[in-house]
Amino acid sequence: MWSYVIKRLLHMVPLLLGVSLLTFLLMALSPGNFFTALQQNPQVSPETVARLKAQFHLDQPWYVQYVFWFKNVLSGNFGYSMAYHIPATTLIVQRLWNTFLLSFAAMVVAWAVAVPLGVWAAVKKDSWVDHACSFIAFVGLSIPDVLLSLLALWFAAATGWFPVGGAQSPLYDFMPPAQQFWDRVHHLLLPALVLAASSLAGIMRQMRSNLLDTLRAEYVTAARARGLGEGWVVYKHALRNAINPLLTIFGYSLANLLSGAFIVENIMAWPGLGRLTMEAFFAKDSYLVVDSVVMATALLVAGNFIADLLLAWSDPRIRLK
Amino acid sequence: MNLLEIKNLKMDFGKDAGALRAIDDVSLAIGEGETVCLVGESGCGKTVTALSIGKLVPTPPAHYVDGEILLNGRDVLKMSSRQLREIRGGVVSYVFQEPGAALNPVFRIGNQIKESLKLHRPDLGAPGTASARSGMARHRAGAVPGAPSRRKALDAEVIRLLKLVGIPAPESRLRNYPFEMSGGMQQRVMIAMALASEPKLLVADEPTTALDVTIQAQILDLLSDLKQRLGMAILLITHNLGIVGDMADRVAVMYAGQIVELSPARELLRRPLHPYTRALMASVPKLRGDADRLSAIPGNVPRIGNFPPGCRFAPRCPMAKPECSSKNPDLVEVETGRFVRCPFWKTE
Repeated sequence: MWSYVIKRLLHMVPLLLGVSLLTFLLMALSPGNFFTALQQNPQVSPETVARLKAQFHLDQPWYVQYVFWFKNVLSGNFGYSMAYHIPATTLIVQRLWNTFLLSFAAMVVAWAVAVPLGVWAAVKKDSWVDHACSFIAFVGLSIPDVLLSLLALWFAAATGWFPVGGAQSPLYDFMPPAQQFWDRVHHLLLPALVLAASSLAGIMRQMRSNLLDTLRAEYVTAARARGLGEGWVVYKHALRNAINPLLTIFGYSLANLLSGAFIVENIMAWPGLGRLTMEAFFAKDSYLVVDSVVMATALLVAGNFIADLLLAWSDPRIRLK
Repeated sequence: MNLLEIKNLKMDFGKDAGALRAIDDVSLAIGEGETVCLVGESGCGKTVTALSIGKLVPTPPAHYVDGEILLNGRDVLKMSSRQLREIRGGVVSYVFQEPGAALNPVFRIGNQIKESLKLHRPDLGAPGTASARSGMARHRAGAVPGAPSRRKALDAEVIRLLKLVGIPAPESRLRNYPFEMSGGMQQRVMIAMALASEPKLLVADEPTTALDVTIQAQILDLLSDLKQRLGMAILLITHNLGIVGDMADRVAVMYAGQIVELSPARELLRRPLHPYTRALMASVPKLRGDADRLSAIPGNVPRIGNFPPGCRFAPRCPMAKPECSSKNPDLVEVETGRFVRCPFWKTE
């Protein structure tokens, strides 16, 4: 088991190297750099710009930049943000926490709603409950995140019940702790719901069809034939088997949440990793871009890894000796 | 009183205009300790008849139109779900065709057997009922759930059952998952699970079809051995006439949702009366024969909802007469204990 974990972690290394290399290449292929705008400014002398560029190795070809970056990474230094003048890691850690908060809240909402609804729809197949759930799922799957984010912003602005964008109020630092907590929840609610809505529908449909499949399985008939009660048959024998495929989806949904968060963060002005990456990319703050992308990749891989571990824990057939 | 008495059972799939009759006027009795074989081609209604004994066919889509299923004198079709749960396992246990599909893949086999034990023998391991292990008698009161002595007693009982069905080193098998066992072993576990609740009737629905031939013989031997030792009745569903001779006291032959012949096994094998039974027997390949082709019954099994008018076998029957396709004959006792649904059974 442990050798498997270590092997999976080692597999991450070439992947992250490849992703970082590709990001550097793509950044180099796009025209201009962080100091291009500065160059246009007549008040700044060309010498100053050249000095700044040299300081960040931007006067070198991209692969030399990469080597410099990589050497620093080996000693634990992920480079500086040229725009913020602080280490990229400091920025990323701050923003990562926000993204994590958003994704986690969205995931909790999505799963807590989707799984019971899916089970309910399967057990009451073809009832009005089932049809209502199908309809909700249909709507949820059809509306893109972008539109839903905009609708949510409009809703917040029109009703005034929710803050329009941001993660905290301007006066956050002056609030007592309880009020601070409430302020964060208040800001989190709408983006989390928007982000949850898209994955909710998929999980619910999946849960329903999995459970319907396992309810038709012969071991379910066999369990009934032993005299077990219907509740025990459904919630122990059938549900336990229906959950397995969902654990795989859990890994993917983590990936989906991150990419979904990218869109939601940008539209709803949530200061997370996705928004940071976007800003850094437009500013051509290249080291920050690379670090953010590497971080996001690591999160994705970690999500899939967690899903695999969960699956092994839940299904004895694929448990590794 | 017979242990099981199915009387004029009629069951449809679907309702009203779209109803398809799957079981049509089936009557069958099984006495205590008797082995009855239900023989027929796929889709003739054997399995739904067997599942009906525990009312295990989901309703809807199934719909019982008429008739009754008396188990120990009580009509299963009229039972509440609570009463049903008591007879399922308690009176009638099932062994299914594919043990790999009938065992839940994610639970250890020991725990699956214990489910039946906890449900149907709550006295097991409870203080003051030391005899609970061997006796068929039940003392329902005084169970202490979760006590360590109870857990030990449950483990011991599972081991005894696994030993009973011939699983070697049962102590080490307790914590196995189904996928860690061979098909034959899985079927033995299914049988152990069926026996755990001490049923009076064991319904085995093609218990050997999914297994290799050598394992088939072992499982059948095990079943007849258990029957001798435990004195339970067996309803064995098969499409293999070879099994009938070894196992059955009586045989019911089903065709298109009806019983066409019901007879003591030995007499049926020696002298089948219904043309369908004769054709079935003729199509069993013989080891020493000069035929170079398999003899098969011409035509196809009629599909449910598409039965021919009159006798359902008439279109495929070698001795059909014109009147056969106008009236469906009744099942008539033509000799003592021998019932045939064909007026021309005397024709050679």
